[in-house]
Amino acid sequence: MLSNKKFENSLVQCITEHKDNIYRLAYSYVRNKEDALDIVQDSIHKAFASAGSLKNPDAIKSWFYRIVVNTSLDFLRKHKRVQVVDEETLEAYSQGISDSYHNIDLERALDELPVKYRNVVVLRYFEDLKIEEVSEVLNENINTVKTRLYQALRVLRVKLNDESAMEV
Amino acid sequence: MDNNIEQLKQNYMEIPIPEELDFVVKKAIRKNRVKRTNMRWVIGTAAAVIVFVSGVNSSPAFANAFSNIPVLSKIVEVVTFREFKVDEDTYNAHLKVPAVTNLENKSLEEMLNNKYLDENKKLYAEFQLEMDEMKKQGGGHLGIDTGYEVKTDNDQILSIGRYEVNTVGSSSTTMKYDTIDKKNQVLISLPSLFKDNAYIALISENIKQQMLDQMKSDPDKTYWVKKDDKDTDPMNDYQSIQKDQSFYINKDGKLVISFDKYEVAPGYMGIVEFVIPTDVIASDLVSSEYIKS
Repeated sequence: MLSNKKFENSLVQCITEHKDNIYRLAYSYVRNKEDALDIVQDSIHKAFASAGSLKNPDAIKSWFYRIVVNTSLDFLRKHKRVQVVDEETLEAYSQGISDSYHNIDLERALDELPVKYRNVVVLRYFEDLKIEEVSEVLNENINTVKTRLYQALRVLRVKLNDESAMEV
Repeated sequence: MDNNIEQLKQNYMEIPIPEELDFVVKKAIRKNRVKRTNMRWVIGTAAAVIVFVSGVNSSPAFANAFSNIPVLSKIVEVVTFREFKVDEDTYNAHLKVPAVTNLENKSLEEMLNNKYLDENKKLYAEFQLEMDEMKKQGGGHLGIDTGYEVKTDNDQILSIGRYEVNTVGSSSTTMKYDTIDKKNQVLISLPSLFKDNAYIALISENIKQQMLDQMKSDPDKTYWVKKDDKDTDPMNDYQSIQKDQSFYINKDGKLVISFDKYEVAPGYMGIVEFVIPTDVIASDLVSSEYIKS
């Protein structure tokens, strides 16, 4: 256990260092700026409030990510998720990326994955966490994470193939 | 497929970071840092209020606890003294306070029981605070669960373990033990079992070996311990037990060392326990009264 002061210092450092990452992570769930910012803010409050639940100071990043993931999931549960794409995202898609349609297909395939599969893909591949860290964030054992990752990739591949087959 | 994942990752990384993020983050940090220092007196007041509120919430166990004790045979036992409960949608608290009864050493009994009650009152007060805070912020999940289990109860030894499961975003579990010598009516501490501090190294080394053995025979198990001298993973930092590490004495008279969730292993391992073979510590034991070979 860390003393309060030490805990606060390392938490502040962790938040500051990863603020862009946690914003993106939150955004990947709620898909709009205002809600993502709210989640970032809530997560910071919760992290300070639950100092006692951090047992290993070295795992502060996983611990904080877990709070962000859970806060996002709580949010989605409360506001039955509607597929909305805000203007900024639309703009980002339409600017300069040549095969932007393809991107949206992919993104949609990922979006349609059940949350438990999407979680592992986002954390492992987008946030570049180690399998062990992913398992800590999601509080699942390592083998479960591996299985889900494998299944997620398979589903994604199947979906994409389906779609391209339909286009032909 | 790798291509596709790369593509998806690129999309993800292109999520625009709004200018306000910096401000929102700084504000949230500042607010919490200031808040903490001003909270102290609130907790004190809340705890005082609980005593009155809990009368309403406390369960029939309160009354039962005392009616169940046979008058003739004065047996030292552990009963549920009082329960605190909150059951609201996403907010759940269930605190179960144990009490030791019929110890002849009344000051020991009182000391233990007051400790158990104070611990839970404090947790309950903190829970209420966090719940109100969370409601103000638009809700969330919050849970706390405490209780106890009697690990050992024989002629000589009574070992009580109290657990605390905290669910705030993530969940954590801590376990605390008290071991009482029923014959002599004293509380046993870990250092009191040994002649000197040599036990710390003896036990630590044994646990290290047990961790490595377990990981070898079961790949699903992970402990944060260095696999060899070349292992430089900073996560693997288990070195030693604490001087007053959590422990209890099991039915077989063996010393059991306990680590809280996250203390020496990833969360999925939960609370981990190691039974220490008596021959490992025999040289440093004061006597074989409690710990048997």
